[in-house]
Amino acid sequence: MRSRNASSQQCWMLLNLLLALAVGLAPVVIALAQQPAPHEDLLTLSGEAGRSGGRLVVSLRAEPKTLNPVLATDAPSREVIATMRADLVHINRATQLTEAALAKSVKVSPDGLQYTVTLRQGLRFSDGQPLDADDVLFTFRVYLDESVHSPQRDLLIVGGKPITVHKIDAQTLVFQFATPYGVGERVFDGLAILPRHLLEKPYQDGKLAQIGTLSTPANQWAGLGPFRLKEYVAGQRLILERNPYYWKTDTKGHRLPYLDELVFLFVPSSDAQVLRFQSGEADVISGLGAENFSVLSRQRRGYTMVDAGPGLEYNFLFFNLNDLDGKTAPEVARKQKWFREVKFRQAVSAAVDREAIVRLVYQGRGAALWGPVTPGNRRWVDAKVVHQPRSLDKARQLLREAGFTWTSGASGDSALIDAEGRPVEFSIVTSSSNADRTKMSTLIQDDLKQLGMRVQVVPLEFRSLIDRVMQTKEYDACVLGLVSFDADPNSDINVWLSNGGTHLWNPSQTHPATQWEGEIDRLMEEQLTATSYEQRKKLYDRVQEILAVFQPMIFLASPDILVGAKNTIGNFHPAVLEPYVLWNVEQLYLRNGAGNSGR
Amino acid sequence: MRFLSRRLIHAVLVLFGVSILTFLFTSLAPGDYFDEMRLNPQIAPETVVALRAQYQLDRPLPVRYARWLNSVVHGDLGYSFSYNSPVGPLLWVRARNTLFLTVTATLLSWGLALPLGVWSAERLGGLPDSLISWMMAGLMAVPDLALALGLLLFAARSGWFPTGGLASLGFESLSPINELRDLTLHMFLPVAVLVLTALPLLVRHVRAAMAGVLHAPFLRAAQGHGIPRRRLLYRYALPAAANPLISLFGFSIGALLSGSLLVEVVMSWPGIGPLLVEAILSRDLYVVVGGVLLSTLFLVVGNFVADVFLYWADPRIRAGPVAK
Repeated sequence: MRSRNASSQQCWMLLNLLLALAVGLAPVVIALAQQPAPHEDLLTLSGEAGRSGGRLVVSLRAEPKTLNPVLATDAPSREVIATMRADLVHINRATQLTEAALAKSVKVSPDGLQYTVTLRQGLRFSDGQPLDADDVLFTFRVYLDESVHSPQRDLLIVGGKPITVHKIDAQTLVFQFATPYGVGERVFDGLAILPRHLLEKPYQDGKLAQIGTLSTPANQWAGLGPFRLKEYVAGQRLILERNPYYWKTDTKGHRLPYLDELVFLFVPSSDAQVLRFQSGEADVISGLGAENFSVLSRQRRGYTMVDAGPGLEYNFLFFNLNDLDGKTAPEVARKQKWFREVKFRQAVSAAVDREAIVRLVYQGRGAALWGPVTPGNRRWVDAKVVHQPRSLDKARQLLREAGFTWTSGASGDSALIDAEGRPVEFSIVTSSSNADRTKMSTLIQDDLKQLGMRVQVVPLEFRSLIDRVMQTKEYDACVLGLVSFDADPNSDINVWLSNGGTHLWNPSQTHPATQWEGEIDRLMEEQLTATSYEQRKKLYDRVQEILAVFQPMIFLASPDILVGAKNTIGNFHPAVLEPYVLWNVEQLYLRNGAGNSGR
Repeated sequence: MRFLSRRLIHAVLVLFGVSILTFLFTSLAPGDYFDEMRLNPQIAPETVVALRAQYQLDRPLPVRYARWLNSVVHGDLGYSFSYNSPVGPLLWVRARNTLFLTVTATLLSWGLALPLGVWSAERLGGLPDSLISWMMAGLMAVPDLALALGLLLFAARSGWFPTGGLASLGFESLSPINELRDLTLHMFLPVAVLVLTALPLLVRHVRAAMAGVLHAPFLRAAQGHGIPRRRLLYRYALPAAANPLISLFGFSIGALLSGSLLVEVVMSWPGIGPLLVEAILSRDLYVVVGGVLLSTLFLVVGNFVADVFLYWADPRIRAGPVAK
């Protein structure tokens, strides 16, 4: 019995010793796991160091459609994918400047035609597989493949030729451009590097589109972003978990991201999104309208609302300047005589009360615009573009100079008539699903009524509107808006080039219809190959000045980026570039640790 | 059996007709799924043309319909442009949630409408009848959307109910009792909206049908035999008044289903509603056709079930038409 007791005691002692060892060594093991392995070339981010753990809940207006960055075109997919992918060079949404990402360095040849990219060493995809130059080579092969129909392909065509990529060694690649490219390394932003080990076979089998859909199992999808797929519940939510191989650390050397989980809830209406945020079911909210922002700002129950200032969205009115044959839309063709008159467009611009639009449509949370570059785009806005205040006298003077006169209408109001005695009447089409633009159109209608113009506002379903503007071209004038993806002027180059598909007032011209459009073409082409920022800025300023004189688009207003977050969220610094709130998701943390994860 | 097989053939014809009309209307609406890309300055028009060709949107309408019909015959409802995946699984997983909501709401609304209607008819013209009539008129006057938004606001302010969704985060880690509680709390508001909007119509029909039979001679005779009032109402009067109510049952399934699509969008219920609305707005053709077809199928099945009940309840239908 004694010997049995003794051996039992020894067993317990050994067990206790092992337990004590385990407890004692646990922090060391955890610390070692947190520390970068010696061969990993991690990127250290500046900024406030946070606390690890917890779950952040974000609401999305719609379900993402795919997790495949090659094919994503919708905003929810892009927002989710942005948290799961990484690019060679990244645009910092706060500074709007490029910074090294997966590429440790980018060297540009003196002629500006070659970019030598050296990858960080020892990086791994979210499934633990290593990243090397073959992944990058494969990625660009996929994006540039015409049969894949990736929306990003067109960005990689420079000087009419696709960028070519050569591998030098396992960490080094050379990108060859056909002509010098002013955009430079910004071209790499947003191009997610793909996992060759997972996608090469489906790509070769022509089944790339079927990979990375929402039904793809979590273990069959990997990326280089801060989060990786954990669970998708159709119609309800998408749960991402921390990528343990992420390649960024904070100033204290802790591997990012801080959050354990990132949850996207699908909430199909903006009002329901607000209610979920109010009730605490969502931690952050973005893309708010001015009304909802005001409501939330008044209540402030444990959250902070931020007006980040004007974003990159610009709303505008434009007239139909297409070359119509007179048979398909004779009424429009007749009115084009007015629309083509520069002084008519200048008069309309002078009569529009932009300040009233900002006040009444955006409740003061926006900026009046006289050009396509919003005040939010600090590097490219041209201070020389005159901010002409509203002047009906000036508008009347311009109309008089253009041969228009006034007559007394049937109801006693003065009506504007052209040189042939026809009353000036036209319609403005706009999107019925965008209440802000419908309000803008109504305000313009009222402004122009004071000039004696009779304007009808016609809200149309969005796709019907696009069909009418881009295909049938049966419209007089249109109020629309565009959101630039990047602050660089090149992101919207097809709006300004006369042969561009989105040169909205007269798209896809074979030759510039006017001398000033030809001048814009020349300036835009020139800035594309100019290599210094100063040169490019000077050229793009000139483009903005031409637009301000000839008014092919009458720029109206840009809304502020309105967002909110719970007070417990650290490093919350919204930007005016998409994604407004989650651009630094790897640095977001919960001040109360895992406090939010218990819901 | 001839009655039922005739109904079955009608159901197939209805589905076929609905598929043609939905396909036609969705295709004839101006614009298509890829039109939004035309407004993206970063996408060349040639890319949009290539994508339209890849998804065969450049083919004539009859050709596209024939190809789709052929794939339906082989059990495939088509391919979603936006999700890059087959339509069937997309719809099915959401259809279960819609069915769950609709069936619960149907059972509850009938469960409430029958006693309320019978009670009201029994006291026809009296104070309870007037009270119920006023309440039902009030409910009928409130639009579904206003009711849904009002209840959502109440949930957000009170914190008693979740403001959307089907289950809480971490539902899987709850105990069975808490899972049931969580599900019930999430279902409460959408079911309440559906029941409250369906109730007025059902109560008024039950009341009218019962009022028509309450003074029938056979009931007076039964009353004379000393049969208790409750047994008299539910065992004898209600079956006699059942014919129009059974037909209404089929109709009510359809009405609740269409109502649920709106409620699902407002209350973030993960059913067919949000998917269908998004697909209609983005012109995701095959999701729209599949979604409408599935909703029609539910409606047809609801009516078929009503027909089966009618067949079982009414001997005149079983006997078939009498030659004169």
